[in-house]
Amino acid sequence: MNGNVIISGRGLCRHYQRGSETVRALDGVDIDIHAGESVCILGPSGSGKTTLINLLSALDAPTAGTLTIDGRRVDGLPEHELVNIRRGTVGYVFQKFHLIPTLTVAENMALPLLFLGKKPDAEGLDRVLGAVGLADRAGHLPKELSGGQMQRVAIGRALITRPRVLIADEPTGNLDRQTGETIFDLFVKAVREEGVALVLTTHNLALAGRCDRTVTLEDGKTKR
Amino acid sequence: MTFAAFAWKNLTRRPVRTLLTAGGVALAVAVAVSLGGFNLGYKRAIAGSIEQLGFQVMVMAKGCPYEAATMMLKGGTGLLYLPEDAHAKIKSDPDIEAITPIFIGIAEKQGSSIGDAPSASSFTILSGVDEASFREMKPWLAFKKGPGYDGGRWFAPGSTNEVVMGFEAAEYEQRKVGDTFYASVTPNGKTEPEMHAFQVTGVLERSGSQDDGTVFLPLKTAQKMFGRAGQLTIIGIKLRAFNGIRMREFEGRWMSIPEVQVVSLEQVKGALVSLVGTAQTMVAAVAVIAIIVAVIGVINAILMSVYERIGEIGIMKAVGATRVQIFRLIWTETLLICLAGAVSGSLLAVVTAGATDAALRHLLNIGVTQGLVRITPGLLGSAVVGSVVLGLLAGIWPARRAAGLLPVEAIRANE
Repeated sequence: MNGNVIISGRGLCRHYQRGSETVRALDGVDIDIHAGESVCILGPSGSGKTTLINLLSALDAPTAGTLTIDGRRVDGLPEHELVNIRRGTVGYVFQKFHLIPTLTVAENMALPLLFLGKKPDAEGLDRVLGAVGLADRAGHLPKELSGGQMQRVAIGRALITRPRVLIADEPTGNLDRQTGETIFDLFVKAVREEGVALVLTTHNLALAGRCDRTVTLEDGKTKR
Repeated sequence: MTFAAFAWKNLTRRPVRTLLTAGGVALAVAVAVSLGGFNLGYKRAIAGSIEQLGFQVMVMAKGCPYEAATMMLKGGTGLLYLPEDAHAKIKSDPDIEAITPIFIGIAEKQGSSIGDAPSASSFTILSGVDEASFREMKPWLAFKKGPGYDGGRWFAPGSTNEVVMGFEAAEYEQRKVGDTFYASVTPNGKTEPEMHAFQVTGVLERSGSQDDGTVFLPLKTAQKMFGRAGQLTIIGIKLRAFNGIRMREFEGRWMSIPEVQVVSLEQVKGALVSLVGTAQTMVAAVAVIAIIVAVIGVINAILMSVYERIGEIGIMKAVGATRVQIFRLIWTETLLICLAGAVSGSLLAVVTAGATDAALRHLLNIGVTQGLVRITPGLLGSAVVGSVVLGLLAGIWPARRAAGLLPVEAIRANE
């Protein structure tokens, strides 16, 4: 384990009300994420993996427990305050890429900068385009890319703001094995070169084995 | 990339929908601008035409004064006449600065057309005037110069076979100075028309008034050929220091003459403006309905666009967009549609102003010669600003819906 704690969660709970039933998607999870480490969250479907990383990325707030991201308390905050926590601190990569179809590769990557009110500098954009291997595709639209290339764009979009933590929900789930490994290499490279912490979920145990450590969830709880 | 560029790219995603929505706004704006232009143009045209009459007060036979005034502006039939001695009585009034007696008659066009040339109009207005007082009332009238027109002059006061032609009347009849003008007139009390031949002594320059389409001849000659000796159509009067009080005093003095009424052209102007007011109100109602439909169309299109992009909006929030930024993005899209519609609609109104003018002239049969549709930069500016304001209002609801989405739920909804 190296570096400072970037994310710290204690007794994290996320309960939903579905009719008269209370769904305990996450039920008392303790977790720490350190700078520069890669953490893989494992578990069967419905175990609470996505719920946990939604909390760790400040996309959602816990219904109970305490959560600190980059030194700021997140629990109990409404959405309009959560956005201030995640912008610039957290980079998020989705399983289904979720690119904006009308924007080019470069524009998709620069989108977070637009929301931060920053103009994308050519050097920074070139750096990220080069890092994800899409320097020759900057002007292409998402529909002109393969699945692996689209996921590279999504990784570039997550890295463009130089976040402290990169969170990926099954980033290789929609890719073939070889492309998935290449994409995973990009994550490892980002951890090594950018010094970001990486938290990802996957069903691929081989990829999980390449992370610094794993956290396994079962029925919303950490499996020991 | 800017927010505006991003918003524009979003609109190009569904180009047909965007075009139809902007087209709806454009139509509404075009109707509104044309209506506004008609409002401005009509008032100016009425005022200009009345100004060109040269007098502020008319004395005429009792009847509908507005019908008589319209006849003065555009010509017409069913004229009423007053006795000529009314002119002799009234001209001694101390408030009068200038006074001119006028006799108007209608010559049948078929009898005066040239050769086999088809006739587009069924009559020609003949105006019998007292040359000296008429010129004093309208000092701006001048004779056309150039080959065939040089040497133009007013007819001699007692002449029985000389006429002066207005610009358009001469152009239509293809007459120049020295040519013969034929007029077919059915005198009062007779059933068969009589043909008269006149020598053209002058052709007037274009004045932009009803005088352009009139043929002038000596008052006595006109009265005689129409079989109405000793009768007038109107007496035009210019008062010294004209105002409402003077007008009422003048009216009071001369209302006592039997079968005669005194009409201020200001009253006539007000009446003519209000007569068209009903039509303007109806067109305004259509414009308001068109605008409401266009605004609903904009709201619907933007709302559909928001629902189609719920997942994307969730992603934008996930990568750092605030509620305000999402609101701003959707609002900008609405604004761009309305702005594009407003500019296109304004251009459409400008381009079709001539056709609108012709259509209104045909539908409303208005007796003015100046343009009925006057589209000013101020009017266009108001239309664009109004559309932008309406666009901003229309965008509030869809923008609020988008801004209020929670990222996790929005992304999940898209999966």
